[in-house]
Amino acid sequence: MKIRSREVRRAALAATSAIALTLTTAACGLGSDSGSNDDEIVIGISLPLTGDFSEPGKGVQRGYEAWADYMNENGGLLGKQIRLKILDDQSSADRVASDYEKLINQDKVDLVFGPFSTRLVVPAAQVAQDYGFLFVEPAGAAEEVFTQGFDNLFYAAPAVANDHYNLLADTILSMPEGERPKTAAYASMDDPFAQGTAYGLRDKLAAGGVETVVDEVYPPNTTDFSGIAAKIADSKADIVVGGSQYQDAVNLIVALRQLNYQPKLAAFSTAPTNPEFPEAIGAKTEGILSPTGYTPDAEYPENKTFVDFYTEANGTPPAEDEANAWTTGEVVAAAVEAADCADPSPECQQKLIDHLRENTVDTVVGPLSWDAEGRPQSAHMIQQYVDGKIRIVLPEDLAEAEFVFPKPAW
Amino acid sequence: MIPLVSGPLLLQSVILGLLLGGLYALLAAGLTLYFGVMRVVMIAHSAFLILAAYLAWYFNRETGIDPLLSLVFTVPLFFVIGVGMQRLLLARLRPATLTMMSVLLTFAIALVIEGGLGYVFSGTQRRIQLGYSGSSIELFGARIAVVKLIAFALAAAALLALYVLMKYTRLGQALRATIQHPEAARLLGINTDRIAGYGFGLGLATAALGGTALSLDSTIYPSLHWHWIGPLMAIIVIGGLGSIPGAAAAAVLLGVSQSLLQIPMGTTWAQTVFYAALFVTLMVRPQGFFGGRLAQRF
Repeated sequence: MKIRSREVRRAALAATSAIALTLTTAACGLGSDSGSNDDEIVIGISLPLTGDFSEPGKGVQRGYEAWADYMNENGGLLGKQIRLKILDDQSSADRVASDYEKLINQDKVDLVFGPFSTRLVVPAAQVAQDYGFLFVEPAGAAEEVFTQGFDNLFYAAPAVANDHYNLLADTILSMPEGERPKTAAYASMDDPFAQGTAYGLRDKLAAGGVETVVDEVYPPNTTDFSGIAAKIADSKADIVVGGSQYQDAVNLIVALRQLNYQPKLAAFSTAPTNPEFPEAIGAKTEGILSPTGYTPDAEYPENKTFVDFYTEANGTPPAEDEANAWTTGEVVAAAVEAADCADPSPECQQKLIDHLRENTVDTVVGPLSWDAEGRPQSAHMIQQYVDGKIRIVLPEDLAEAEFVFPKPAW
Repeated sequence: MIPLVSGPLLLQSVILGLLLGGLYALLAAGLTLYFGVMRVVMIAHSAFLILAAYLAWYFNRETGIDPLLSLVFTVPLFFVIGVGMQRLLLARLRPATLTMMSVLLTFAIALVIEGGLGYVFSGTQRRIQLGYSGSSIELFGARIAVVKLIAFALAAAALLALYVLMKYTRLGQALRATIQHPEAARLLGINTDRIAGYGFGLGLATAALGGTALSLDSTIYPSLHWHWIGPLMAIIVIGGLGSIPGAAAAAVLLGVSQSLLQIPMGTTWAQTVFYAALFVTLMVRPQGFFGGRLAQRF
């Protein structure tokens, strides 16, 4: 008897759940047309606000929010107010895909912006592609982003990862024979963007005769870099290059200093442009290099507006992540204004995509145009810590300071 | 590419491995103590570790005083939290399912700590700024970082203190009796409930020490504890559950192995040494390689 009653209860529970589910689905279906009001444009975004990429993820968030605030204070987009719907994907590639699925399907957003970093951009772009959405992204720069066959993707920055160090590679290879570094050590996070930057430089230097003596890869959650540092120090490489994000470069540099390794040149992706970087490595920054797609000092009129607005709102000038996020906003806004629509319909989204395929957009990082796979066609600058401040040293016509080589001891 | 290992690199790696192993030993000691006195699998141990690291960082940021001094507050605080946790939460679990349920309970506590840290301090990577973070001492051509040496000294001192306490004090005798045979200990008049509380407090106090040591030379973030709990669990199984000397020996051995394996295998594969060793232990000698009769009964 007891078993019977339990069975009955279980069946009843199942039936109730099924009904509840149906009702929920129906409610969603009913509400679908009014996912956003007619007087606002909802933009769906998923960002790594926690986990491995939380640091840059929050930078991107600040940039997106500043852009939306700026637009709303200046009449909005197509006369409508912009509302951002930002989810936290916890730096997880599974999570980011389901986030965009939810944003497009359940929340019925009008437009989407990309997340941070290649590992998350690829799954996110796939979802956007499946629904025919335009996908402009602020931080997926690795080559694999552009080889997946996405026809809806545009990278809102000056150059792809493999080309970030191009100006530095040229400078090193054009040094006179006696001065030119002979050996190089590379350490890169197991991450397509970080590896792309380091390997872009590695391949160019190796082709130019600079021997690769250490080539290490570490998982993104590594915090103990003493082993890698020991290998690099032991190799006595002339130059050290880190394909890094943030905390990894900080920990690696401190570990290298602990081993008293003094390279002639040290270049790290992303990390040195972070305002917390100098303090984090104990102020021994002199001579450290980093490629950057952005500087607050750039003289494009869009950039002046951006820097003033951002600085007033946040108290500090924007960094690269914030700038690329703002650029994403600018690029999408340019397409929306040209196509005169911002809704999830495939026709509208296709119009937006077509516009960007054909046109150049003026942004805070300069005029941007894209190839058929979404690779931007400009170049990255090289920055270096000179007299305690990070300054542009390459290319020479934009330089704020002289390129320092060899690097002072750290 | 055939990696040619030079003598200095080998020496450097052994030194780094020993320093790392010392820290592992301290952290694993607490974990094995919980299991010993209470048959509790304490998933939240490394979360408390990160909590202590955050407290050290916060203390340093607010006062500018050396983070090591934060131990004056965190060690007693963690001891009290440990006793409280045992008396108020773990003691209420049914003895028959204690081990399994303690996994769930302490998993929940780990999530609460991680969430709390994220809420209060955000997910940003933090690092204590120390004037001596890059300083090192030279030894036969190898370099020993001052911060790592401090962390190692802290771990060694704590382990020694724990050893003396366990071996030569009445509390230690009572703790060991509780570990060896709770029923017999009770028959001899030992209040095993209270002793278990103290054991838990001691274990958590080692987390305060370990976390502070960790914070000296690493960036910290709220979810970092997941990175630590796996290797630590592997260490205490290999060392023999409940055996502090076993945990310490396994920790140093694995620390050095990890450091040496990094030379040919790289960082990604070197960290699998813990799990490879764990599998071998479970296949060949499930009770652990150093003492530890407990696991047989488990």
